[in-house]
Amino acid sequence: MNGASGWLCAVLLLGMVALCLLLPATTRRRRWAGALLGLLSLLLMLVEVLLPLVSWTAQAVFWVLAAVTIGAAVAAISMTKPVYTAVWFGLSLLGTASLLLFDGAQFLSIATVAVYAGAILVTFLFVIMLAQPEGRAVYDRITWRWYSKAAAALVAAILMGILTLALDRFARTEVPWAPALEQLDVLHPAHMARFGGELFSKHLLSIEVAGALLLVALVGAISIMIQSGRSPGAPPERMEP
Amino acid sequence: MNQAIVLEALIKTVIVIGGLATGAAYLVLLERKMAAWVQDRIGPNRAGIPLTDIRLGGLGQPLADGLKVLFKEDFTPAHVDRWLFTLAPVLILVAAFAAFAVIPFGSVLPVRSAATGTGAPVSLVIAPGVNVAVLYVFAVSSIAVYGVILGGWASNNKYSLLGGLRSSAQLIAYELPMGLGLLGIVVAAGSLNLEEIIVRQAAGGWYVLLQPLGFIVFVVAAFAEAARLPFDLPECEQELVGGYHTEYSGMRLLLFLLTEFLHMITAAALIVILFLGGWHLPGGLTGSTDEVGWFGALARVVVLVGKVFLVIVVFMLVRWSWPRFRYDQLMSLAWKVMLPLGMVNFLTVAVLEQVRWAWRLEGPYWTALLAAAAWGVCAIAVVLLAVAAPGVADNRGCRFTESEEQTG
Repeated sequence: MNGASGWLCAVLLLGMVALCLLLPATTRRRRWAGALLGLLSLLLMLVEVLLPLVSWTAQAVFWVLAAVTIGAAVAAISMTKPVYTAVWFGLSLLGTASLLLFDGAQFLSIATVAVYAGAILVTFLFVIMLAQPEGRAVYDRITWRWYSKAAAALVAAILMGILTLALDRFARTEVPWAPALEQLDVLHPAHMARFGGELFSKHLLSIEVAGALLLVALVGAISIMIQSGRSPGAPPERMEP
Repeated sequence: MNQAIVLEALIKTVIVIGGLATGAAYLVLLERKMAAWVQDRIGPNRAGIPLTDIRLGGLGQPLADGLKVLFKEDFTPAHVDRWLFTLAPVLILVAAFAAFAVIPFGSVLPVRSAATGTGAPVSLVIAPGVNVAVLYVFAVSSIAVYGVILGGWASNNKYSLLGGLRSSAQLIAYELPMGLGLLGIVVAAGSLNLEEIIVRQAAGGWYVLLQPLGFIVFVVAAFAEAARLPFDLPECEQELVGGYHTEYSGMRLLLFLLTEFLHMITAAALIVILFLGGWHLPGGLTGSTDEVGWFGALARVVVLVGKVFLVIVVFMLVRWSWPRFRYDQLMSLAWKVMLPLGMVNFLTVAVLEQVRWAWRLEGPYWTALLAAAAWGVCAIAVVLLAVAAPGVADNRGCRFTESEEQTG
């Protein structure tokens, strides 16, 4: 185990403790400590993993976006009110979209905002609003004591560690970056048209299958709705003469 | 070079935001004046230059209104969710401004841009050459729904919540026909870039002539997305007091009201850019090439802004001419009328474009013929719709219709 992975382990351990403290609990004091620890672990990460970006401004923009994304994601899982969770999750999605845009993946970025933030999360918010939840959700009242939190934080830490190590190895192998980007057409001026061409020529079958799946889901949802409308308690749809 | 890019974008941003805020303020005055004209009144005509007796026909009214709102108490009721109550107006305003990052307000200036380094002329759009501009506008306008929902929910008030729910359902429902109306444009222009779409129209004819059905669908959906009068259910005064901003006052209310006008400007600008040729004006005032002098460049800005202004006047005329939809009518219009029309439009455009491409039908005569075909499909679709009448809703109770059938 060399110095870098030792450092990584320490940072991940710190982050894990921070996450454990941040997850919804009865007292607020521990959550402040958790927030501070989380910030500390992010800073330590920053010291270790400075990305090889072109300029100082690019570096700053990337780190601000990354910090906002991660911070919002942590806030999303540590809120007790569902509405706040949804709002923080939305901010996290916006951060992700900005990071994608930063990397030049315009379509993915816009699709993230339009599909996740614009459609799915709005639906969540809709449901949450209509349900008017007061206080804690049922799953928070069932107590597994601290085991569940610790297990969740541990899994998150392990996942992040593995990903970081894998990406680190990927970055160390000499990849000729410029030709790769040219091949991917990410930086091509008409990359949307090329993206569409790729999607509807190479991956046509997948697109069609996904479309059929969505259609089936749609029809299924409507049929379930119609059936639930004819539940025994409800009045019959047509009066018999 | 890096600083030049940032500086150029900043200057454009300042111009756009300043222009939009001022424009929105004067649009409020215009709307009040038009309301007065439609209703045979005089309208606001007192406020002029401050501290003098010069009235200027009421041109000082926006300033007076702004000051009044600024100095009013920004009251936070005791029962609201403080954080979200403040977040909602800010969020909705930011989203409304963000849409203008990709909306051009002219063509190009005959100045070599220092930013790009290639010596290309300065584009009159904050983020030039964005490949997904149309989708970006859609994504950002879907963020605006959050402001409405959160504002309605955080107010902790029945009317606000109902307004927020209505609004979000309406915005989500009309995003679909809006997208379908737009797909035809994307197919025909082969690009999602708004500047590129204008250039294509300058070369090959405005899309309002080539895709009439798409124009109808898009304009109706744009009215609904901007929540202008036939579709202003989110805040209908008679039923919901003020909808999702019932509980707001002072500065935060101003943000909501400003956003409404910004949404109208966005919708008008999109209609002009996508269907009415942008800065293009037939008759040689503005050509289609990028090589323009100062006169041409400024004329293009004037033409584009003038067209947007005219569309906004139409928006306001509609507001004072039509009554409001009932909620079920609104939804059946979206799902039973506009959605099928949008699909018909998309299919028509796809077939016509394929025909044009396969047989290489270039030139004005073929274009006119294809446009005539599109108009024919439009007429047939509208007639079929009138016959089928899917929008006619019989919402009397079940018992009444039954007894009517039995008696005769």
